[in-house]
Amino acid sequence: MTLRFIIFIALFTWSAGFLLSSIFPDSAYIIIVQPFLKKIYGSVCHQRIEKTFLLNGHYFLVCARCTGIYLGALVISLISLFSLPGPTENFKLLSISAIPMIIDVTATTTGIYPYSKFIALSTGLFFGSAVFVYILAVIENNFVDKPFINEPE
Amino acid sequence: MNRNKLLPSLVCGFGAAVLTTVPGVKNFACCLIVPVAAIISINLDHKINRSEFPIKAGQAILFGVLTGIFAALFSTFFDLLTTYLTHTNDFIEALPQTEDYIRQYKLETLLSQTMIIFKQMSNDITSYGFSFFYAFAMLMSNLFVDVIFGMIGGLVGMSFFNKRTTNI
Repeated sequence: MTLRFIIFIALFTWSAGFLLSSIFPDSAYIIIVQPFLKKIYGSVCHQRIEKTFLLNGHYFLVCARCTGIYLGALVISLISLFSLPGPTENFKLLSISAIPMIIDVTATTTGIYPYSKFIALSTGLFFGSAVFVYILAVIENNFVDKPFINEPE
Repeated sequence: MNRNKLLPSLVCGFGAAVLTTVPGVKNFACCLIVPVAAIISINLDHKINRSEFPIKAGQAILFGVLTGIFAALFSTFFDLLTTYLTHTNDFIEALPQTEDYIRQYKLETLLSQTMIIFKQMSNDITSYGFSFFYAFAMLMSNLFVDVIFGMIGGLVGMSFFNKRTTNI
């Protein structure tokens, strides 16, 4: 449970980082660190404005799809604090969750249908949730049950 | 860890850094570039060094960390090189806008000090094409982000390859 809480805090901090300027648009602290934060998130996202959500006059620091991936992982990490006992390493679920995202990327790139932030967000949410469940399973199966981590009975 | 063990992470880290610099590719892969590079580095290690599966979790994390470190080093180098050649970057371009925003606030000491450092950084870059503080900040942030994403990729890769081996 401690591990899940640490992962939740880490994901919450990461997600807060790209949402802060939109949630607190009038904070001088956030405005000052904004260019620096933009650069940090720029290393993991293309940050194209036409593919990014705008809230309170400020764009998120990651695109709609990345927003979906991180928020999906965050929501499931929150749920995992209360339930989700011992997830299994289901690679099929991970692969299936990537299919809508791959189809959307391919279709919008080839011009089959126009880019939609909400479709990108939805496919990202689905993929992010599945990725989180998979990674949590890998971590818990490999580290949590080790004797040196187990609490004494 | 011998040199051959470092090679897969070096190659994949370099590849990831190149891809993160190419805007077109970044549109497709976004945050998946470094994790995928870590997965490929595990596979490369298996092919080059004939490493045996199942791979241990510690080893997978090490591959992820190394791939992340190399990706961060190379991407910072590319960023600094571009900044040196052009004497500007998106950070410098965004700074005047930030100044406009914060003119309406009465800044506390900490904030005004931060703004002074940013301005100094901007002056160094526009004058010499290089700022030590900018380089250090970029390296640290790239290392932090890429190492974490690399570790995630390493763990996913470990699970994937171990499962595939047991199925065979």
